[in-house]
Amino acid sequence: MTALRNRGIRPALLVGFLFLIALAVAGCSSGKQSFQFDGGKFVEDLNPTSPGVTGVIYLTVIISVIAQALGVLLGVLAALGKMARLWPLRLIANVYIWFFRGTPLLVQLAFFYFGFGAAHLWGWSDVTINGFFIPGAIQAAMVILGVNEGAYMAEIIRAGIMAVDPGQTEAAKSLGMTYRLTMTRIVLPQAARVIIPPLGNEFNNMLKTTSLISVLGVVETYNHYVILQGGDFRPFEAYAACALWFLLLTTIWGFIQSRIESRFSRGTSTLSSGQSGPQNPGFAARLMSLRAPIEQ
Amino acid sequence: MNTTTGDLLGAIGGVPRPETDVVVDARDVNKYFGRLHVLKDVCVQVKRQETVVIIGPSGSGKTTFIRCVNHLEKIQSGRIFVNGHLIGYREAGGGAKLVEDKEKNIAAQRQEIGMVFQRFNLFPHMTALENIIEAPIHVRGMNRDEAVAIGRALLDRVGLAAKEKVFPNQLSGGQQQRIAIARALAMKPALMLFDEPTSALDPEMIGEVLEVMKELAREGMTMIVVSHEMGFAREVANRVVMMDDGVVVEEGAPEQVFSAPTQERTKAFLSKIL
Repeated sequence: MTALRNRGIRPALLVGFLFLIALAVAGCSSGKQSFQFDGGKFVEDLNPTSPGVTGVIYLTVIISVIAQALGVLLGVLAALGKMARLWPLRLIANVYIWFFRGTPLLVQLAFFYFGFGAAHLWGWSDVTINGFFIPGAIQAAMVILGVNEGAYMAEIIRAGIMAVDPGQTEAAKSLGMTYRLTMTRIVLPQAARVIIPPLGNEFNNMLKTTSLISVLGVVETYNHYVILQGGDFRPFEAYAACALWFLLLTTIWGFIQSRIESRFSRGTSTLSSGQSGPQNPGFAARLMSLRAPIEQ
Repeated sequence: MNTTTGDLLGAIGGVPRPETDVVVDARDVNKYFGRLHVLKDVCVQVKRQETVVIIGPSGSGKTTFIRCVNHLEKIQSGRIFVNGHLIGYREAGGGAKLVEDKEKNIAAQRQEIGMVFQRFNLFPHMTALENIIEAPIHVRGMNRDEAVAIGRALLDRVGLAAKEKVFPNQLSGGQQQRIAIARALAMKPALMLFDEPTSALDPEMIGEVLEVMKELAREGMTMIVVSHEMGFAREVANRVVMMDDGVVVEEGAPEQVFSAPTQERTKAFLSKIL
């Protein structure tokens, strides 16, 4: 087992090495296609101090966090709605999930922003909150991403709630807890253990999915590089830089995620309190080995 | 036996006084699971400070019955009163019809009824002490220091003072069940229900749990115990109720039921189990 884990470092190195080779080949294959990889241009595109770069990265992160938070909130409501005793609540939750999982996000973005705007159903006007100017398109992006995400989170959260032993609910009830207390104090904290790993994956997805909101005209990370390569006709350098930025964001998130996961495993270890135990190898260990991530 | 038990009720400020002499009064309770008639006109009374042990073969409805007493199960007809209050329902149409009570009222009624489960059902994301103080703080609105003081006293009395900060997963079944008893007691209930509290335990751990229950009975807690522990019933019960096929077959003092059962079904059951 230990030997396997030690050898596991190789695949990660291999992947990095292949990436460098790909770049080198791209740079050298200039013979027939007359393409010259412009290293200086690439570094400039990547450089966080280049104009606009830091801003769009922040924007991507902020939109992702807000949309995901909204998604979790709506997901909890939709999950509880789906399990409600009253049929109208179940109907509303089911229709919501059905629609937003059944249509492409790109279509939802266009429909609820351009379509609703044109039909005068809902206009997204720019607002200023505490001195922060928030354009209508960015509000629309956060809301639509969040509402879409909620439909996916609903199923994840419902599965998490159903994974909690029914005996827990009975014990809580027998102590005189109301439905609300039972959910907030007993069921959801335990469901969180089951929910957190897929929630982490959802957020990883969210970081990347924000690139779609470029169709609303929002200049986030992807759109920044679209515009950049439109100006200098160097798409290879621009999109390589763009990909690396997203890779950096999702990698940082991976580290944060494994921290959160080990925190939420409180009480699951039979070894000693406060330790995550060997069942949670941590992100670095996962990155360095080919072992399947535990959450799948 | 390394557990030192004693003065369990002292830890919660004495014997909680039930408001009536008859703490549990179940009248003609009928319960169906779909078409299956699981409780048939069940009548059981439990007086203040009495310990009643319900015995009977599996599927006889004894567990279902005590789950009805704190309304974890609905009933289709009959009335169950605890402390003189109708449990889980209010009467409508001049007392002819039962309408399920509001969730909030049912929750309030359950505060007075402690329950201990076969599979312990401790909250795994909380330490032993947190399990005990959870409901007193969030349901009773007790201040934290007071709840912690009571929780520590209870842990001490069930012989687990050293396990305060330990999570349930790291405890043995017997230890978990003793904490579950402490958790129920921390709400200062007027009545305790035990649903086969030793059935999921390894044999060597049964004694430590029964010891705590015996102590509780001695101190005057009103209890209904569903159990296969005939030794416990003989020693502690004021009354033994024999159920079979959803019917109370017979009831009486333990020596009478065990030594001179009047019903054939009781004799048949006892001959298998003793």
